[in-house]
Amino acid sequence: MTPNVDERLASVVRSLTEVVLPHLPPDASLAQEQVHLAIGHIQIIRAQFDQVPDFEREELDDYRDLATALRKSVSGGEKTSGALQAIDVALANAGGLGVRDQRVAVNKAVEKLVDALPLDGAEGAQGKAAQMIVDHAEHRTLKDREWFVPFGFDTL
Amino acid sequence: MQNREMETCYRKILDRRQASMDLPPYRAALREEIQDVLAKFFAIERPDAEVSGVKRVGGGASKEQFFFTLTQDGKSEQFLLRMDPRKAITETDREREFVLIKAMQGLVPAPEPVWVDNDAEHFPQPAAIMRVVSGVTKPSGAGVKVSGLGTYLGPNLRAKLRDQFVDHLVTIHAYDWRAKPLVGFEVPDGDPRQAARWSYNYWRGMWDIDRGETKPIFALVDQWLRENMPETAELVVTHGDYRTGNYLFEEDSGEITAILDWELARIGDFHEDLAWVLMQVFGTFDPEDKTFRASDLFERDEFIAEYEKRSGRTVNRATLHYYDVMSSWKCYIIVAADGLEAARSQHNHQDVLLTFLAGASAMFEGDFVRLMKQTDLTQRQEEPA
Repeated sequence: MTPNVDERLASVVRSLTEVVLPHLPPDASLAQEQVHLAIGHIQIIRAQFDQVPDFEREELDDYRDLATALRKSVSGGEKTSGALQAIDVALANAGGLGVRDQRVAVNKAVEKLVDALPLDGAEGAQGKAAQMIVDHAEHRTLKDREWFVPFGFDTL
Repeated sequence: MQNREMETCYRKILDRRQASMDLPPYRAALREEIQDVLAKFFAIERPDAEVSGVKRVGGGASKEQFFFTLTQDGKSEQFLLRMDPRKAITETDREREFVLIKAMQGLVPAPEPVWVDNDAEHFPQPAAIMRVVSGVTKPSGAGVKVSGLGTYLGPNLRAKLRDQFVDHLVTIHAYDWRAKPLVGFEVPDGDPRQAARWSYNYWRGMWDIDRGETKPIFALVDQWLRENMPETAELVVTHGDYRTGNYLFEEDSGEITAILDWELARIGDFHEDLAWVLMQVFGTFDPEDKTFRASDLFERDEFIAEYEKRSGRTVNRATLHYYDVMSSWKCYIIVAADGLEAARSQHNHQDVLLTFLAGASAMFEGDFVRLMKQTDLTQRQEEPA
């Protein structure tokens, strides 16, 4: 039996809090700041560690849903068609990549479409895609913001 | 990226950023090393002076900063050394900041710049030295805030600071750069949209070099910024990072003693500064009345009205909206690309802060959604040249 990740991280926090921090000189401001930040980081990681795979999987699924919806909703000339094909490729290549690499690939393909639509998208396609992206981001961003609330920046 | 037009200085900054990609890791300078390098520097600049009391300054997210004392003929003076790490969360130019702060002496409270070593001839990295100014960036008891974000001033200090805050910004914008040119500052007067374009091009260049991970909403906002650049009616000196946390004040009197962090200043559109001031990340939601105040000083419309009254300018709401979007986009690039790249490459002295700040990126995505919902996405202007 080995200690689990949470127990190991908890021991690191305790070491930093009760051994390292009190022994830093009062004028070691950078070291003190960084130890406080390291403790904060680790506490957040402890709280989220078990949920990270599910969070990233859901994130990927959300971006795949958007890419699929865009694929079905807009059309255009050569550049737009090329971007739509790139989305097909990104969606089809899912099996060979990890979750993060899939997310990057899908989002790069969507960016290519965003850039192509003003050039030769069908009438109204740019506005339609833009609205779909904003609607999607409203839903997706809320999840991201909730995830990052422990960092203390957001007033969500 | 190479073809995007921008100020020469910013082109050099981007080139430097690109060239630093393969450099070895950087580590925080030790106090003894700074003591040594200062002693060597002043052996040339002030041979009879003695350096003592070198002490690192906490806070901030971009520079290595140290207080020190210089004693000569029985007289002691306090100085601040500001030195770039190898790669920072914002990449700037010490000479340019030095020139501007010198020009601002006597106009607005600002530290007196004394020496600059922009080419790192004497210091390990580009550096500048200024006289120390008394004051604090936040009230004692305000708690620990990362990089001064979300500082709560409270009603008493707010009442003392708010008029000064606007007046100093108006004074900066009134600087007569035509009569008193700022060496190294180029003027975006080639066409009415050049000011917005230069700003966009620089930050987009940073995004590309620092390998920001795109998202559909970022791509949309980026495109909107390219397609909707506003015309600038009046070119002014902008501060670039004007907010609570970037000025010093005396806690008792509430007098602003120095405006800090001039490194993002340029000649551009005053709306760019106003939008930055109004960013949610730099403001607070009052715990009592739940009111949002920019820099914990003004509600949005109140700030705009005060600026208009004191400057005599009219704030163009469409232009302000453009720079609202650009401000959130810049902040997103700073935390989600520049800071992460500096940490990833181990080229900074506080990687743990930079990766922590990346946690703010979702908030700026929230800004994108809020601001894009206020935008007619079916309308587009001509693609700028």
